[in-house]
Amino acid sequence: MRSTLAILALGLGVAAPAATAQDPRLAARLLEPDRALVQALLDSARAAGLPVEPLVDRALEGASKRATGDRIVAAVRRYWDELALARDALGTRASTAELTAGASALRAGAGPDDLRQLRELRAAQPVTVAAAVLADLVAVGVPADSATAAVLSVATMVDDAEFLAFRRNVERDVALGASPIAALGVRLSGLAGLRATTESAPSTSPPSGPRKP
Amino acid sequence: MREDELIERAVALLREPVRVDPALDARVMAEIARLPVPRPEPAWRSAAGWLVRRPLHLTPLSALAAAAAIALTTLVGRAWLAPVAPVAPVEAVASAAPVVQFVVVIPGAHAVSLVGDFNDWDASATPMAPRDADGIWSVTVPLAPGRYQYSFLVDGVTWVADPAAPRALEDDFGRPNSVVTVGGS
Repeated sequence: MRSTLAILALGLGVAAPAATAQDPRLAARLLEPDRALVQALLDSARAAGLPVEPLVDRALEGASKRATGDRIVAAVRRYWDELALARDALGTRASTAELTAGASALRAGAGPDDLRQLRELRAAQPVTVAAAVLADLVAVGVPADSATAAVLSVATMVDDAEFLAFRRNVERDVALGASPIAALGVRLSGLAGLRATTESAPSTSPPSGPRKP
Repeated sequence: MREDELIERAVALLREPVRVDPALDARVMAEIARLPVPRPEPAWRSAAGWLVRRPLHLTPLSALAAAAAIALTTLVGRAWLAPVAPVAPVEAVASAAPVVQFVVVIPGAHAVSLVGDFNDWDASATPMAPRDADGIWSVTVPLAPGRYQYSFLVDGVTWVADPAAPRALEDDFGRPNSVVTVGGS
C-alpha cells in the first residue's frame, strides 16, 4: 500500500513542473517518508491548479489526531481526487471554499452532474453554502438523492442565510424525533411557500423522477 | 432494598394505568358552566393592570422552591441550550469580518481547545475559556465565508465533536469532526 502510494506520489511529483519548498507546517508535524509523500501530492495539486491549503489541512488533521502515515497520505490522496472532481464540475474559477464544499457534497453522495447543475443555477453567487448544506443534510440522515434534489430545487430562490436556516430547521426537527425525509419535506414546503407568498412566485417542488441509485 | 428492586418497583408503579372517573368531564364542564361570564375589560384597563403593584403571597417553602426552579431552569437552559442556540456556533452571514462563537458543555474538563481547519489543527492555537465553573467553554473566532471542520480537544487527549453542529462526513481518521458553514451572500 505504502509503496504504491509512494510510486504514485513520486510520479505526480515528477509531473509537477515546479515543485516548491516543503511546507514548514508539514515539516514540523509529519515524519519522513510520509512528509515527502504528502509534499509530492501538494506539488502535483499546485501543478493541476487545485488549492493546496485544504490538502495541508487534511494532513495536519491526521497528524494532530496521531493517525498513521499511511492513513494520512491516503486521506490527502482521496481529498486530492475529490477536489479535482469538484473543480471539474464547478469550473476553474471556483474558489477554494466552493471546492471544499463541493468535495464534501461529493463525499455525501452527490454526483459531479449535480454540482454542475448547482453551479448553473447559482451562476451569480457562490455555491459554497448550498453545497455545504447538501452535505450537512446527508449527515443528519437525509438520503443523498433527496438532499440533492432539495438543494437544487431551491437553489435559485434562497440566499445563504435562508439556506443555513433551512438546514438548521431540518436538523432541529430531526433532533426532536422527526424522520429526516419528513423534516426535509416539511421545511422544503415551508420554504417554497414562504417564497411564493413573499415574491408572488409559483412554488417550486423538488425535481421528480429517478436520480442516482 | 437494592437499587434495582427500587427502580423496578418505581417502574411498575408508573406503569399502572391512571383510573379516571368517566363522569369527570361532565362534572368539570357543569362547574365551568355555573361560573359567571366575565365581562370584557376595556383595553386601557388591561394595559394599566401592568402598572399596578400586586402582592405575591408565598410560604417560605414555596419561595425556596420557586427560587430553586428558576436557578435550575437557568442552569439547565444554559447547559442544554447554549450548544444549540444560534450562537453556538453562530453561522454568521455576510459581514466584513464574521465572528463565530463556539460553545460546548464539558463538565469536569481542565482544558478545552478548539481545533480545526481554521487554525492548522493546532491544539495550542485556540484555547477555549471556561465560563464560571459550570463546564461551559467558549471562544470566538473570525472566519471568512466557507465550510470548516473542527473538533474540541479535551485535556489534550480526548477529541469531542460538537453535539450542536452538523457532523462532517469526512471521517478519515476515526475521530469525527463537526462542521460550521459561514455564509457569504
